[in-house]
Amino acid sequence: MENRKLQNKTRYLLSFIIGTIIFILAFMAVYSISYFEYQKISNQQSDLAYSIFEDKISNSFFGRDICSDQSYKEISEDLGFQGRIIDDLERKFGKNDPRVLSRKKFYTLVLLEHFEFANNINKECGTNIHTILFFYSNKEEYSKESEDMGRILGYISEQHDDLVIYSFDVDLDSSLVSLLKEKYNIEKPIELVIDGKYNIKEVNNVNDIEKYLK
Amino acid sequence: MEFIKFIIYVSIYIGLVSTTFFILSFFFGEKKKKLLYSDDELPKVSVIIPAYNEEKSIEATIKSILKTDYPKSKFQVIVVDDGSNDNTLKLAKKFEKFGVEVYTKKNGGKGTALNFGLKKVNGEIMFSMDADTFVDKKCVKQMVRFFKNKSVMCVSPAILVANPKNILQRVQYVEYILGLFLRKAFATVNAIHITPGAFSAYRKSFFDKYGGYDEGNITEDLELAMRIQFKGYIIEHSPESPAYTIAPNKFSHLLKQRRRWYVGLLKNTVKYSKMFSPKYGDLGMFIMPIAWLSVFFAVFITSYSLIKIFIEIRKEILFLNSINFDLYGIFNINYFFIERFLFLYFSNPVVIFILIFMLIMGGYLFYASKKIGKISSPFINLPLFFLFFSVLFGFWWIVSLIYVLFNKEIKWK
Repeated sequence: MENRKLQNKTRYLLSFIIGTIIFILAFMAVYSISYFEYQKISNQQSDLAYSIFEDKISNSFFGRDICSDQSYKEISEDLGFQGRIIDDLERKFGKNDPRVLSRKKFYTLVLLEHFEFANNINKECGTNIHTILFFYSNKEEYSKESEDMGRILGYISEQHDDLVIYSFDVDLDSSLVSLLKEKYNIEKPIELVIDGKYNIKEVNNVNDIEKYLK
Repeated sequence: MEFIKFIIYVSIYIGLVSTTFFILSFFFGEKKKKLLYSDDELPKVSVIIPAYNEEKSIEATIKSILKTDYPKSKFQVIVVDDGSNDNTLKLAKKFEKFGVEVYTKKNGGKGTALNFGLKKVNGEIMFSMDADTFVDKKCVKQMVRFFKNKSVMCVSPAILVANPKNILQRVQYVEYILGLFLRKAFATVNAIHITPGAFSAYRKSFFDKYGGYDEGNITEDLELAMRIQFKGYIIEHSPESPAYTIAPNKFSHLLKQRRRWYVGLLKNTVKYSKMFSPKYGDLGMFIMPIAWLSVFFAVFITSYSLIKIFIEIRKEILFLNSINFDLYGIFNINYFFIERFLFLYFSNPVVIFILIFMLIMGGYLFYASKKIGKISSPFINLPLFFLFFSVLFGFWWIVSLIYVLFNKEIKWK
């Protein structure tokens, strides 16, 4: 039998070049989608911060009645969504990406603004808006537990119209988060603070939380 | 980066490069005009139909081959009943008055029936045809034309699935059409090493020189194709010769068929492992290594996915337990949920690559419809293929490897 040869080396070279270009283009497309989402979230965060700030100023400076204002509910849904997307972006761009870090810090600020706003409504209107501060971590050893707790909280928030959940990344290099941890005596991730007074270290079932929301 | 992600991306990259190679070969591969028989030069042809308990389809198969436009004076049809215990023999004998030669023998498997038929062959070109296969009337003539080149020892047709009805058949339907694309691309670099057992043509002199079918082999057609390549001859592909076969419609039947094919492929590849060599050009250096790499990736990724699915189900049960199995409460599909789902979906590179491969295959199906006629429900069959084939392919291979590892016996029938 005669030895055969590669019949067309140029075809192999072309395939390698075209295949590589398509491979790179696909990753660039994915990056563009993530970047588009990042920009969208950035704009939404600014709008949200403005809304919260506007409501607070209207009340504190101009004395507007906040008791009839139900906007905090809409805002709280937006907050939860943004928090999840920022975590997704962190996974896409990496934990040390400066853009994501600055978004997370700003998000923390917005959360605290809203938390204070909800507390003010409770105080001034005698309402009972429940709040849960959730301290999570995206570190490998805690990520699964954090995710599970996030899902349980997501479920509970669907059951209670008068509940707002605030999630804080305990690993975020933020003085606000550090102060918050200190204030509520948070020792490690996956801890909850319900209505600013009940510190929950372990949750196995939704009932462990529900009993504080009645 | 996680190891599994790395493996997935490597498999995608290799898939992209090889798909590009196949597309370039498909469209720009044939530089030289093929040497083809004209109508006056057509040689004598014999068709062997081995049959074992094929009473449901044998009549239609014989009728279809008798309708061929090949010159009747140069055409012989031989039916070998392999000891059927149904009405196969009786039904085949009805065609003796049309010149069909019908023989019967003790059951011994497809290889023995084909070897039996080979002794009765008087044609220069021999076709093997399964008793559940039907051919287009121009099929035989188009295929025989390629034998003008004396190095051509085998020609494969455009084998297709007849009337796909359920999901399994639809998945196989697309798989077979994709097979046509690959076979044509392989033919441009003489790298076809698998020919359809359902219908293929061979030069009789090859059997005279190198022996008949390997009777102990569970995939005797595959062994023959590899033997032809091993001996340095050419296997051609005739894309304009449609032949239709009935694909298994039950999962257990399909699994049995694939287990036989894949175990056969594995054993025959070991038998002809010397072909993984630069001596065999594109076949030895690219096509065969790529084929086996794709098997490795499929097995690895499917095994990982199955374990992952098991873990996820367990996780989901634990979560449901933590919310007291309130299933209604977890289904809250709102604007935020949809936006996040779409973002996560389209920012996943694997999804983008699947879309790219779907686009390529959709384009090919469109092209194929121009060549082989209307494609059955492409907008249903193509997504079904993408949903199920890679999982099935991996699963069949895992089962086949288990059979080989534990040395379990597999029979043709």
